[in-house]
This record gives sequence, structure tokens and C-alpha cells, in this order.
Amino acid sequence: MIKGRNYIKASVLLLVNILMLNSSVSVSAQETLVIGAIPDQNPERLNRLYGLLTDELSKSLKVPVRYIPVTNYPATVTAFRTGDLDLVWFGGLSGVQARLQTPNAKVLAQRDIDANFRSVFISNKSSQIPVMKTEADLKRLSGRRFTFGSESSTSGRLMPQHFLQKAGVSLNQFKGGRPGFSGSHDATIALVQSGAYEAGALNKQVWDARVKKGKVDQKKVQIIWVTPPYADYHWLIQGDINERFGEGFTKKVKKTLFGLNQNSPTQRRILSLFGATRFIPAEASQYKDIERIGRQLGKIK
Amino acid sequence: MTEKGKSLSAPILAFLPAIALIPVLSEIFKEVHGGGLHLLGKFALASFQPSLDPLIIQHAFRGLQITIATALISWTISMCAGSLLGVLSSNVFWRSYRNLGWLSSVFNSLISIPRSIHELVWGLLLLQLFGLNPWVAIVAICIPYSALVARVLRDQLESLDHRPMVAITKNGASPISAFFTALMPAMVPIMTTYGSYRLECALRGATLLGVFGLGGIGTELQLTLQSLEFNEMWTSLWMLGVLMFGLEKTMAQIRKRQAKSINLQKFLLPGLFIIMGLFILCFLWLQILEVDILSTLRMHPITLPQSKELIKAIYSFKYFELIFNTLLIMVLATGIAVGLPPVMLILFPTKKWVTALNILWSFLRLIPPPLSALLLLLITTPSVSVAALALGIHNLGIMGRLLKEGLESQNNAQHQAMLSAGAGMRGAWLYGLFSKQSKSYLAYGAYRADVIVRETSVVGVIGGVGLGWQLQESLSSFGWSEVIVIIAIYIFITRGVETVSNNIRKTLLIDPTKTQINNVFQPNRFVFQ
Repeated sequence: MIKGRNYIKASVLLLVNILMLNSSVSVSAQETLVIGAIPDQNPERLNRLYGLLTDELSKSLKVPVRYIPVTNYPATVTAFRTGDLDLVWFGGLSGVQARLQTPNAKVLAQRDIDANFRSVFISNKSSQIPVMKTEADLKRLSGRRFTFGSESSTSGRLMPQHFLQKAGVSLNQFKGGRPGFSGSHDATIALVQSGAYEAGALNKQVWDARVKKGKVDQKKVQIIWVTPPYADYHWLIQGDINERFGEGFTKKVKKTLFGLNQNSPTQRRILSLFGATRFIPAEASQYKDIERIGRQLGKIK
Repeated sequence: MTEKGKSLSAPILAFLPAIALIPVLSEIFKEVHGGGLHLLGKFALASFQPSLDPLIIQHAFRGLQITIATALISWTISMCAGSLLGVLSSNVFWRSYRNLGWLSSVFNSLISIPRSIHELVWGLLLLQLFGLNPWVAIVAICIPYSALVARVLRDQLESLDHRPMVAITKNGASPISAFFTALMPAMVPIMTTYGSYRLECALRGATLLGVFGLGGIGTELQLTLQSLEFNEMWTSLWMLGVLMFGLEKTMAQIRKRQAKSINLQKFLLPGLFIIMGLFILCFLWLQILEVDILSTLRMHPITLPQSKELIKAIYSFKYFELIFNTLLIMVLATGIAVGLPPVMLILFPTKKWVTALNILWSFLRLIPPPLSALLLLLITTPSVSVAALALGIHNLGIMGRLLKEGLESQNNAQHQAMLSAGAGMRGAWLYGLFSKQSKSYLAYGAYRADVIVRETSVVGVIGGVGLGWQLQESLSSFGWSEVIVIIAIYIFITRGVETVSNNIRKTLLIDPTKTQINNVFQPNRFVFQ
């Protein structure tokens, strides 16, 4: 029994320790701005990008800022709805989904490239799929092994599916009766380049960035079609953010984002990781088309 | 059927399910293309060259620790909650107390729903309700596991000899204390064995939840596979492998001691203290790893769909196809998992071969089914067969180990006798060794079908087929009415399969010679794993 008492004593001590640790954390805690993003690219790249952005926002807004990585699209939407994330970099579709579930959320900003965003269709050269001249040529993809990115991606699924549908290709016409879902834009490039899929669709900005970095083997994989433009990525912020961080906070965040420029080396680095020259104002009305297509394809209920 | 015919049928019957491999492989090979073949080669080669980059190791190790702590916390909670629910749902407890036997059926129906849904589905649902919180993974594992523990404990309590308890009550002891004095000591060894098995399950469960983004080593595995960084993936796989190997060996030791009926009572109290200590330590551990386990879990209710939407959702599905595909995955996967281990063993029943198989099986157990499905998709197109094969080989790893342990633990005098009498290697193995195990093995296989039908949700998501896929689509479109309908179908299917497999098990375990019955109702692993 003496032994038993020692166990109890040890456990109680531990418990006390934990409780104290917890309380010390909560005392020092100041309201932190929590930011997040949809996981559309390789996580290490996102970590690098948002690490830099976190420091920059914290410096300019004078509040602690923390980036929380999220590993799937719907979880990002939910985390915004539940208030776990304050400021989120959403895609077109996920942003609309998030606003429908989070009353008062505000569309804050987009990149200069987002107002006229595009997707690219790519193919493995050994598949002999010819370069498409018109939208109707997409018909040639039926019967092929085809992969989208994440199932909730705007540029990697929703818009490509929309254009495929316009060309008369439905999802069950791909080889195997269904398309693949690679999970991210980088994964789509890797899978098509490897030959696991004959063709795929992804975000044009990610494609351009990887080509520029020499990460794409252009002997093996090529662009076969570029979609017409549509509005995509944007920043969303919680509607009650001013009540928590003080009057005018939303404006301050906007100003910081719009102020990022090429003169400071860090800011230049951030913008280049975003694949943009600068951030510009955005309106909820720009995403009406995305919402319509989302409803039509059953991704918005 | 004659007596002899009956005793012959079971060992042969155990091989038959392996036939499932034929349609599965033929569908897969029909669609196979050379495109990703070199990637599979790269994956295999990378096993010899895991990335040793300190940053990668650090990431993987952090993930592993989160998974261990998550598994330990959920295991402790589900064992406690399950024990309580098990007692409450047993008829004998309420009868001992007062004539409240009907209360046990209330608790019984209470635990039947949670266990018919896989922990992954719970995880995805809870994620929607509670947002990002480390408790989501823990609670997701605890809900079905508590119900499973409760069911096993209840079955065991009911099957015990109740006469000592009645005797104690007649001598004037209060009914409750009679219940605990007379029945509880018999439960300790059972709960130790079963508990050790559940711990392995909890570790696998926590890894799997990670694959779907709930953190830990599973997330590392998924991300590295998605970006085809196989060397980095193997860093995580080897770490997980070492852990699983260590755990399996430790648990096998505990079971061995149990079998030798070494008195475990004296280890009980210190054991419980160690578990409680570890439980509390885990919280500290997660906090150090910057997983905010002490944050409060807040519910953020969704707007429940109106009846109109619900009716619309009910009419929107092709039920026949969804249910048929789900059942087809289950049947094929069970066939592969149950039929292949004896087939593989009988090929060359030599020591070296068994060791080789053992290594293969450990590897199959190690890789979560959705990841093997992703690997398969590198060389073929999505189909029911991909889902069935991925699920089948994972469970094959588990069935194989079980069969091997069963064969090793039995008396092999007959086998030796047949060998020295000049019987062929395979014949001696079949009739001298395997035939004694075959019935309980098949009975356990029937139980495995129960587990597998729940797991179809896991591979459906990746294979793009069945209910699992539909659930993922509906969740990512936030279509709650559809989600509700799908969950209802799941409950319906798993309940149905459970009933059928229970009946098969009962039929198999009733033997005219009565020798098997006692054997199987002993606290050995075939009863409840």
C-alpha cells in the first residue's frame, strides 16, 4: 500500500503541474490573430510562405499572429465557421462555402491575378493527347485516365469540371468510370508527369511557378489547354474581428495586405511565393459565378 | 453429412475465400498500365533509403509522439467507459441488483449504434461540429471503442458461471458486492488480453485518423505519399514499424504469461497506476509538443436540415449501387483476408517461409489501407477491386499473425507423428496442424467481416467507390441531409452484417463432439479480437 501511495502522490503532483502550466499559459495569452489557408500546395511551401507572412502581419498590426496548417479543404471551411481561424486564404469555391456558413464574414482582398484566374489542362506526352484548340476539343479526354486535384478545389476541380461538362464530358466517361483526386496541384503535376494519369487539370499559377523553378520535366508533360478566366482565391476575415481587436482592425489588415510591395526583400519574397505582384481589393459579388457553378455541380447545397 | 465429412470440411473451407483474389486481381490487371510502375519500384527501393534529413526525422518523430499520446489517451478512456457500459448492459448485473433486467437491454441498444460506425466517420463528423481540436481524434476513437469493449465485457459476463454469485447473495451479502466479488476476478485476465489488443487497435486508429488530416504520423505519411517523396515516407513508416513491432512483441509476452496462468492479480494495482500515470503524462506530453490538448471543446452546431431537404436527399441516391458496392468490397476483402493466410502457409510449411511471411504480414498491417489504395492507384484505375484489395491485404496481415500464433500455441504432437509416419509436408501441416484450428479460425474470420464492413468507409474515400466516397463528397459539399442518410445506411448495413456473421460464428462453433465449444469460450483471442 505504501507503494500505492507513492503512485498517487506522483500522479497528483503531475496533475498540479499540468494545471499550473495551463494557467500560466492562459494568463500570458493575449488575443492572437489566427490565420490559415486551404492546403492546395505542398505543406512545406505553405509553412515557409505563411511563416514569413505571419511575421510581417504581426509587425504591422502589432498583435501576435499564428498560422495553423490545416490538411483538408472542408476542415478549413469548418475551422473558419467555428472561429478557430480569423483570417483565411480561401479558394473561390471554399470561400463561398465558408461565407454561406459564417454570417458577416467579409471578402477582404485577392491577388492581382485572381480576378482573371485560369486553370491549365496538362497531359503526359506519351499519352499522345493532342493540344486542344477549342473548348469542344476537351471531348478527346473521355476514355482517358484523368485526375483532378482536391475534390473541393476551384481551379483543380470545379472549373475544369465545368468546362469539361460544357464540352460534353461527364465524370463517368473517364477511364475506369471516374476521375482521380490527387489531393493538391503539386500532386497532380507529379502524377501526370509520372504517367500514373494521362492527363489532369490544375491551377495555372502553380504550374507557371513550378515550370519557372525547373520542377517540371517538360519533356514528359505539357499544357494541352488553358481555360477562360474566372475569379478565384481571396482572403476572408471574420465579421466580429473589430470587436475583438479594436475599431478599424479590418481596415488595418486590408492596408497591410495592399501595402505589401516589391521594395522590401521580405515582402517581395512573400509576394513571389504567392505568385503575385500585389494584393488588390475584392468584392463578394465577383464570386457569384463560382457560387452558381458550385450549386450546379452539387458542391454547394 | 458423416462425422468424418464434417471434420474435413472446415480446413478445406478455410481456403475457399481466397478465390476472391481472382476477380479482384483480374479487374486490377485489366486496367493496369505501365505509367506508374516505376513509381512503385521507387517506393520499394526507398524502403532501404529512408530520408535521414534531421528536419524530416524531427517532423516524423513529432508526429509519432502525437499519435502515441492520442492512442494512449483514447485507449484509457475507452477501456474505462467501456467497462462501465459493459457492466451496465449485462443482464446479470441488473438482476443481481434488483429485478431490473430490462435496463440491460436499454444499455444494449445504446451501445449498438456507436460501434456500427467507424472511428474515421466519427472523426470527420466531429471535425465538422467541433472544429480543429486535438480532442476530436480522441473522442472519435473513444466512441466506437467504448461500445466495442462494452459488448465484449457484457458477452463474457453473461457466459460466466453465475452460481457463485447467487451463493454469496444467499449468504447475506449485498447483491452489488456479490456481483463484484464473484464475477470480477474472472474478468481480469480477459480484460488484460482484450485490453492489450485494443491498444494496438487504438494505435492503428490514431494513425488512420492522421491520414485524413487529424494530425500525427498519419498526416506525415499522407503528405509525403501525396507529393511522391517516398524516402521521406519511409522515415515515418520505419518509425511506426519499430513502434508497432515493439508493442506487438510486448503484448504477445503478456498473453503468453496469461496462457501459463501466472497470477496477474499482483500486477493489477501497479499496472493500473502505471496506466493512470501514463494517461496523465500524455496530456503534459501533448502540451510540450504544442498540441493544445487543454483547450476546451466547444460545440458549433450546424443548422439541421429540414424534413423537406431530408426527403430530397433520401430520393437522391442510387441505393442499390451504393449498398451493393459496399457489400462487394466487404465480401472480397474478407475473402482475401481470411483465405490467403492458410493458402500462403500451406505452400511451403517450413520455418524460413513462415518467417518470410511474417515479415510480409507485419508490413501489410503497418500500412493504413487508404495509403495502399493510393499506391495501387499509381498503376491502375479506381475501382471496387482497388478498395477491396487495399482493405483485404491490411486485414490479411492481421489474420495471418493470428493464425500463426494459434498454430504455435497448440500441441504439435500429431503433426510430428504424421511427419515421421512419412506424410507429405503439406498433408501433415493440413491434417496434423491446421485442421484443429480451422473452425475457430473461420469463426474469427466471420467476426473479421464485421470489422471490415466498417472499414469500407475508409477505402471507399480513396478508391472512389461505395458509401465511403459518397460520404466524402457530401461532407465536402456540406450537404448535411445527405450525410444523415448515408450514416443511416451505414448503420443498417453494419447491423445486418453483424447479425449474419454472428449466426455463422455460432454455427461454426457448435460441434457435435462438444470439444470445440469449451475451447472457444476460453478466454483466448479468438473469442473477441
